[in-house]
Amino acid sequence: MAKLLPCFTALSAALGLSLSLLTGSASAQPSDIPRTADGKPDFNGLWQALGNNHWGIEPHNARMGPDYRWAALGAIPAGLGVVEGGEIPYTPEARAKQQENQADWLARDPVVKCYMPGVPRANYMPFPFQIVQSPEHVVMAYEFASANRIVYMDRPDFAAPVPSWMGHSLGRWEGDTLVIDVTEQMPDTWLDHSGNHHTDQLKVTERYTHLSRDVIQYEVTLEDPGVYTRPWRMKMPLYRRLDENAQLLEFKCVEFAEELLYGHLVKGAERTEP
Amino acid sequence: MKPMSIRKTLARAVAVILAGAALAPAHAQDAYVAPRTVNGQPDLQGVWANNSTTPLQRPAEFADRATLTDEEFEALAARAAEIEAGTGDALFGDGFLSAAISGTVESYDPATGNYDQTWMASRTLENRTSLIVDPPNGRLPEMLPAARERMMAEIQERRANPSDSYTSRPLQERCITYGMPYMLAGYNSYYQIVQSATHVAIIQEMIHDVRLIPLDAGPHVDEKIRLWHGDSRGWFEGDTLVIETRNFSDASEFRGSRGNRVFKERFTRTAHDNLQYEFTIEDAETWVSPWTAVLNWTRSEDPIYEYACHEGNYALEGILSGARAEERMAAEQGN
Repeated sequence: MAKLLPCFTALSAALGLSLSLLTGSASAQPSDIPRTADGKPDFNGLWQALGNNHWGIEPHNARMGPDYRWAALGAIPAGLGVVEGGEIPYTPEARAKQQENQADWLARDPVVKCYMPGVPRANYMPFPFQIVQSPEHVVMAYEFASANRIVYMDRPDFAAPVPSWMGHSLGRWEGDTLVIDVTEQMPDTWLDHSGNHHTDQLKVTERYTHLSRDVIQYEVTLEDPGVYTRPWRMKMPLYRRLDENAQLLEFKCVEFAEELLYGHLVKGAERTEP
Repeated sequence: MKPMSIRKTLARAVAVILAGAALAPAHAQDAYVAPRTVNGQPDLQGVWANNSTTPLQRPAEFADRATLTDEEFEALAARAAEIEAGTGDALFGDGFLSAAISGTVESYDPATGNYDQTWMASRTLENRTSLIVDPPNGRLPEMLPAARERMMAEIQERRANPSDSYTSRPLQERCITYGMPYMLAGYNSYYQIVQSATHVAIIQEMIHDVRLIPLDAGPHVDEKIRLWHGDSRGWFEGDTLVIETRNFSDASEFRGSRGNRVFKERFTRTAHDNLQYEFTIEDAETWVSPWTAVLNWTRSEDPIYEYACHEGNYALEGILSGARAEERMAAEQGN
């Protein structure tokens, strides 16, 4: 790409066209984005989604939180939604299950118990994640629950050894976009706090593209014949954490979930159910 | 754990590292130079296994000897091979060599039964009698009286009330941490290192964790921030990755040491398939002197697996339920 660029730019200038018009998207021009020593787009850094997508990826109103004592602090803020077309194309049965989940979300939501969030949910939890990128691997280390995944680059034939909570990630480059296929995820994870769900047939295709040095456009396609009538997409920006000395800290949330999970089994406990 | 059995079938026999290769300090190696990454750093990347049979502390049998004679080592290797080929209980960490020395496999949990051989990874037998290289006697330095008292009090409390609460159980059973450093050989003891220009990621299979080591970064986080695995800063000294870690929480107990410890690590690739891992722990509130251990991590061609420890933690619920059921039965019998 770098070698082609000068004549390409000269041509576009000669034709009176800008490069951004030619590429036809809002993504950064190839010369603007950070690159690794081997010339690939450089996604190394600490990233975090903003907004309220973790509460609900479909459009939703603000609503009361689960505990009145948390009042304004615990109330759930509104969100415009990130699902293309507004609604996830569930089968009627799967939509009914989502609504059951939502009605009982605090008891059913796996991340409340500090279970690993799965993909794509891990990327828009309200916690940062660090990308460590080499030519062969892209490591994504999430603050929440110490969840992590290893993206294997250019190994399309590497089959998942076992199903897992964070899935099996195989990456490749399409121009300046990092494309990751994620398969073999446990069916237990959700997509948000609103009960949006999937089965073990879920196939996630993620696309990471620099909008600028400090912003990634994160686009994701979800296919799951078990619950969706067609593939569907969502997209959102991921922002670089620019705080001085920003770094990933620990959120080993097991210790914060134990009273919920095991408190009824403690000697002398007053409650008898989880 | 399926991964273990897969790994085992891939390489069943006990691997033997000949004396010398593993022991020599990094700078004395015969001209092995690690390849360089795209960023020009020494390339420490790959999946590495801590499967050495060498115990942390030198068993009394070996007294002041850091290595065995060739004859002794061959005899030990033969007994180790018998254990690996056997059908007895699984042996992790220092237990393997203890069994090879004594010739008997002792179950560490005769009450409930033990993990069987399916759980064992292939172990690497080295002619070294302890991981600890300093103090030279291969033993942990003496603990300070206050630290010993504190540790003994905790042990007694745990023995007296082992299952009153989830907090009574060890951190490992709670899927919080196996400690830093994690050094139990032969039990999910796999690591993967990935390097970028600014960070080294050390992915730890046990429980699932990534240690992020920023290179040439600023000072440590504020001393009020305390972490289970501490706050790390790293840099390269020649071909060695040096890491200093501090800001441990008091809850992150390691062999009687707590939040005050300063942990220095040195990773040096001494061969294509060997990563020498040296660490020094200094804690003036716990031991009379710092101590240093050297581990040899061997290269693995297998991937790291996801260990969803907490997600599958049925045991903790079972332990607490069992304890409460026993109490109910005792109360009924008392009536």
